[in-house]
This record gives sequence, C-alpha cells and structure tokens, in this order.
Amino acid sequence: MRRVTTLFALVLVAALAVPATAQEKPRHGGELVFPVPSEPPSYDGHREETFGLIHPFAPFYNTLLRVDPNDPSGTKPVPSLAESWTIAKDGLTYTFKLRRGVKFHDGSEMTSKDVKASYDKIISPPAGVGSTRQGQYAVVEAVEAPDPYTVRFRLKWPSGAFLTSLASPWNFIYKADILAKDMHWYEKNIMGTGPFIFVEHVRGSHVVGKKNPTYWDKGKPYLDGFRALFVRDTAAQVSLIRGERAHIQFRGFAPKDRDNLKAALGDKITVQESPWDCILLVAINHEKKPFDDKRVRRALTLALDRYEGSKALSQIAIVKEVAGVVVPGTPFATPPDELAKLAGYWRDITKSREEAKRLLREAGVPDGFSFTFKNRGIPMPYEPLAVWLIDQWRQIGLNVKHEVVESAAYFGQVVRPGNFEAAMDFQCGYIVEPDLDLYKFVSRDKNPANYSRYTDRTLDELYDKQSRAGDPEERKKLVRQFEKRLLDEEAHYLMTLQWHRIIPHSAKVKGWQVTPSHYLNNTLDVVWLAD
Amino acid sequence: MLKYIAKRFLLMIPTLLGVAILTFFLLRIVPGDVVEARFIAAGQGQFVDRALMDMERAKLGLDQPMWKQFVAWMWGLVRLDLGLSMWTGAPITEEIKLRLALSLQLAIMATVVATLLAIPLGVVAALKQDTWIDYAVRVFSIAGLAMPSFWLGILMILGFLIIFKWLPPMVYTPFWVDPWENLAQLIWPALAVGYRYSAVATRMTRSAMLEVLREDYIRTARAKGLWLKLILVRHALKNAMLPVVTVIALEFAFLLGGLVVTEQVFNLNGIGMLFVEAIARRDYTLTQALVLLTASTFIVVNFLMDVMYAWLDPRIRYR
Repeated sequence: MRRVTTLFALVLVAALAVPATAQEKPRHGGELVFPVPSEPPSYDGHREETFGLIHPFAPFYNTLLRVDPNDPSGTKPVPSLAESWTIAKDGLTYTFKLRRGVKFHDGSEMTSKDVKASYDKIISPPAGVGSTRQGQYAVVEAVEAPDPYTVRFRLKWPSGAFLTSLASPWNFIYKADILAKDMHWYEKNIMGTGPFIFVEHVRGSHVVGKKNPTYWDKGKPYLDGFRALFVRDTAAQVSLIRGERAHIQFRGFAPKDRDNLKAALGDKITVQESPWDCILLVAINHEKKPFDDKRVRRALTLALDRYEGSKALSQIAIVKEVAGVVVPGTPFATPPDELAKLAGYWRDITKSREEAKRLLREAGVPDGFSFTFKNRGIPMPYEPLAVWLIDQWRQIGLNVKHEVVESAAYFGQVVRPGNFEAAMDFQCGYIVEPDLDLYKFVSRDKNPANYSRYTDRTLDELYDKQSRAGDPEERKKLVRQFEKRLLDEEAHYLMTLQWHRIIPHSAKVKGWQVTPSHYLNNTLDVVWLAD
Repeated sequence: MLKYIAKRFLLMIPTLLGVAILTFFLLRIVPGDVVEARFIAAGQGQFVDRALMDMERAKLGLDQPMWKQFVAWMWGLVRLDLGLSMWTGAPITEEIKLRLALSLQLAIMATVVATLLAIPLGVVAALKQDTWIDYAVRVFSIAGLAMPSFWLGILMILGFLIIFKWLPPMVYTPFWVDPWENLAQLIWPALAVGYRYSAVATRMTRSAMLEVLREDYIRTARAKGLWLKLILVRHALKNAMLPVVTVIALEFAFLLGGLVVTEQVFNLNGIGMLFVEAIARRDYTLTQALVLLTASTFIVVNFLMDVMYAWLDPRIRYR
C-alpha cells in the first residue's frame, strides 16, 4: 500500500511539475505592444541621447557585447556579436572573436570591418558627424580588424571600465560599406543585424518590427514582432496597460500607477522593481557665500533624514534607495553599513542635526538664514524631492525659498552660468559603471557639467586611479575614497534618494528582466508572450 | 464682391508678415534651444562635449546672427518653402501634412456634433422659453461650458475601461485605411470636444432665436396664419443663424490649434500635440510654421465667415 501511495505521490508531483516547466518554456509568436513616452530626432544611436531611440529601435541592432539580459544588476558584459575575447596581460590590448555567419538585414555578412567602421565613427567621427559618447572612449588608441572575424582595440592606458563600455546599448554595429558612402545614412535609415527587421515608423504614432527569420541566435527571437506606440501622456500609457492594449512600458511608472494597475488587473499584472541609475543631486554653488564654506555644505547634507525620507517619498514618488555615488545592488555600490558612516547617512538623525546646527553656528550662519533653492520644472520626482529638502533644511533653522524654472531653460539659465545658490541637478546613466557615475564630480575644468563649480585635485586623482585599476577590489577601495571625500569630507554635492524603477507589466510578458537602467535590455530577443 | 475678396486676400499678406516677424523674434527670446533640448533634457546630456553641441548648432544655422537667420527663413517663405524641422531634419510640410488630416477630421467631427446638438436644442429652448425644457437645455449648456473637454475625455476613457473593460483605439488609423477603426477612435474625442463647443453655440442659437421671434415680420407671418414650421425654417432660423455661424466658425478655428490637451488624453497624433512637442523641443522652424498655419486658419475662417454673412443676409454687401 505504501508503495502505491508513494507511486501516486510521485505521479502527482510529476503531473504538477510538468505543466509548470512547460509554462516556463518560451513560446513562439505574438506581437509585443509597448508605449514609449518620447520620440527620437534621428535613428542614429551613436548620436542620440534619448530612451525614445533605444526602446523602439534597439531590437533592430546588435552591439559587440551586451549587458546580460538576465542580470538584475545590469552590469555584467556578455557576448553578443563578439563570441569571446581576451585581454593582454598589460591590459592594453583587447581582442574579440566575432561570430561567423551573422547577417545584416540586407543579407550581407557582418565582419570585423563593420565593427571597426562603427567604432571608428563613435570614437573618432569625421568632421560634421556627431558622436555623443566619444569622450567615453578617449582611452582607445586604435581599432583594428586583422582578419574578418577578429577585432582588436589598442588602449593608451589600462582601463577598468573599458569592457563594460563596449556593452553600451548605444553602440549599434552598422554596415561599413554604407558608412563609407554616407556617414549620415543611419540618421534616417535602419539596417542592422538585430532580432527584428524594421517595418515602419509613422512619426508621432508608432514603430513596427517583425521577426528576423535568419537571426544568428538560432530559435530567437520568440516574438513574431513588436509594436512601439508613441504615447506622451502618462495617464494614456497607464490606460493602455490597464485596457490590455499594451503589455509593458519600459521606462517606469509612479507608485500610484502600479497600485492602481494591480488593483484593477490583479494577477494579470506582474510588477518588477529595481533601483534606478538616476538620481537627483543638489549642486551647491561654491562661488557663493556662505556655500564656499564646507561646514555649511556639510550642515546641508547632515540635515537630511534620508532613511525616513525614503519611507515617505517612495509611496508618492519614483525614489526609494538611500545611496552613495553608485547604484545600490551593483558591484561597486557602498554597503549600507559603510554608507551609514558618511555625513548625512548617519542613522541617528538627532545627532546629525545637532552637528549641522553646530557647524552653521561655527561658520557664522545666523539662525533663520534664507537662501533660494532652484528647481527644474519637472513634476516627478523633482517637485516632491524639493519640498522634502526644504522641509529638512527648515529643521536646522534654514529658511529656503523654492523657485521652479522651466525645464528646457534650466541648464542654460540656471546651473551652467552658476545663477543659483543651491539647485537641483541630476545624473542618469545608461550603464552602471564607476567611470560614468563619478565623472560628474571631477573638477570643473575637467567637466563643465560639475555645476557645484569647484576644483578638487584630490578627487581628480582618485578618479583617474580608479579608472585605471585593473583589480575590481582595488577599484572598489578607490571608489569608496572618492565617495568619502565628495560626500563627507568636502560635501561638494548632496545626493538625494536614488530613483526607483517600477515596471508593472502584463503577466503574459516573460523573459524580460528589469535592470537599474531603462536604456538596457531592450533588444527583445529573449522576451516572449505567454498564452 | 470679387473686388472685396481680392482686397481681403491682399490684406492677408501684411497680417501674416506681422505674425511671422513676431513669432520669429519672440521664440528666440525664450531661453534654451533645440540642441540644448536634445542633449541636455534627454539624460546623459550633461556629459556631452560642448564642441559637439556647437557643431550641431552650426549645422542648424543657430550660430548665425539673428537677422541672417530671419532673412534665410523669409526667403524660404517667399519661395513657399517652410524649411526643415530642426528636431527631425524632415521637411516641415511633411511633418504638418501627417498631423493635419487627423486634426482637421477631428475638428470637423466636433463641429458636426456641436451643430447637431446646438441648433435643435437652441431652437427648442427659445420656442419653449421659461419652461422646464428651456431650463434643461440651459443646464446642459452651462455644464458644457463649465466642463473642460479633456476632463470629459478622461471620464469617458475611465468609464469605458471600468464599466465595459474597453478602451478606444489609441493609434491613429486613417479613415481611408479602416473607416470603422478610425471612427471608433475619433468619435469619443469628437463628442468630448463637440459637447463643450455645442454649449457656446446652443446659448447663441437660443438668444438669437428669441430675438428674431420677437421681430415684427415673424409676428406678421404668424398673424397671417402661416405654418409654424415654415416660419421657423424660412424666416426665423435663417436670420438667427448669423451670430451662430460666427460662433461656430470661430470655434472651429480655435479647435485646430486648441486640441492640445484632448489630443494628449486620447493620444491623437494631431497638430495640437505637434505644437506642444515643437515648443518643448525648441524646434523654431516647426513652431514658426505652426503659428503661421494657425494664423492663416483664423484669417481664412474670418474671410469665409464674411462671405457666408453676405449669403445669409442680402442686406450685407461689400464694395
């Protein structure tokens, strides 16, 4: 009897297990529909900056490497058009073996000359050709194509960031012959090696892609196609998901939208959340008194109760994580215990604020001192964060006026010319990499986008050191030192809270993993739709 | 009449010239430019090399003195060339053509909805003055005036979603591609906009009718025992229509440029949405063209209205 029972139990377990496994097996077919809140000026990934390009157009292309689509930290480079790579012992030569038999959508074969031509365009564009991320590749001495399936990058100095930089989602591989004839061709045309073939783009309306039947990664993509709908209004985007006319929006929604969708659709909605490689910063103008005094800047950061702020603001705004200069949950991020040692991150807010008041007194700042905080005219999350900041500063006796400036005029009118005392600034990355995350904070003569307008050679030196450190552990230490000097010792800039990415999507969407960057993971080759 | 038409056409030129000059210089006073909007507002823009931004500005001619830019633009206008969009690089005529059909269709549909509602309601309210019917019509029109059409649109969308689990299509299908899909998409914004629009016209129809019905010639006609329907259609309505036509025509002109929020709510890819995008992106050339288009619409509508006046009331004649 016992044997029969055991057998029955085994059969039952097997019966339950089989459908579960079958359910997770990718299904072929279907059209993925997603709204995109922005539309790009051109199709050239080497030139543009907006996710409005990446979301609907990345599926037409491949890059040399990509960020692992299954890695929630969004930091691990894996092969894409390159099959494998080797790095020379001196760290100065990177050699990539390309896949064979990869075809462009016009049927021609992709070879190393296409990769070289694409990277030459990115790294050293000819006159009149725009390359937005050229500065990221200043380390490259030359790109070589010794044979059709080998690409070699020779560097000027060793770089801890170089490999990750090749996984940039912007670096579409274009066809060399086309570039040789017209460097601007890809601004108005689309032709890559990606999992989907371009069908149409009706401006202001939609982009359609269909499955590439001869895609090099056999069996992929799973979808028959995709349809990206340009929808500016957030309420309309949410309605599309709620009305099941669209499956997913890849940028992110506010907490209330998530809650409404979940309440309306229940199990039909899956929610994926992640820290977001975007953060609002407070630039403090070092050229204005009393903000030239580091005691005043330290007081400003000490006043902020980031932990309580996170609890309250994460319910109404797209912010959540308390973070240093690197996105939490990624390899170079500061662990919470270490973070809590920095000024403004202490767990004891009473102690912090007492210290803040003491510093203000010491610096001769009178109680009730007034200044203006300038903010960019974007409601979410700029407004709630500014209200929170002002309230926090009031609690150490500062009287702060909130002034909102129209978004497009903000950089030209306020932050770049230094027309402010304290102002909101932002950093939003397309890949989590210390070189990119830290560059914002080097001295002003090295980066004019340092709107706190200071010169700090120690920081510059630490930046260069971490950038060249080959050993990740060594690099982590240098990043920590950089962070301590930036946020604690000098308080050059204040970090608010890390943005929080919330993607409530149709439960039918499978195979897609949220990452800390809305620029990543948009190739759609691994995405599939359940019945 | 022909002389009058010719004169009005000629008068359009200085009006449009004035609009063009004002738009050109006012736009350039506004801080920020298209390159700034493109690279800074997007994301990583703060790391973009200044030299690249200068290069992009030079490509668009933004490095030239303002008067040179103005002359170049005017020279294009003289040759009926609106130029290229600074954002997409596409010819502006193409950008506008894509969107105009939709906005025009929506404006016409809203006008039809408004006219179909306003004229019968206004006439009935006037005929039944101070009865419950009159009060009901007045409440209906006041509610229409008080309720923004975008709000009504949001209510419609939410209502459909919650009650019927249905959403109007949100991607535009031209009428000639699929008439049903097209109507399923546009009828709701047309109703939302048309309702508000009808409120203005209903009130105007009612008061115009009341005024006409008190005229001696109507009283005479009734005293003669003329059939009421005939009096209304032949005499009263035709005369009462003058101010109503004015209101409908002017509202139509407003609609073309003013569908901004409704287009956003229903995700309609029309002129209103293009206008917002063009301004937000500091796409000078496109914004200038759209302002000219809107101004031209008003001028043409005014002109047509005058012609219609003359037709409706033979006493009005222009020399």
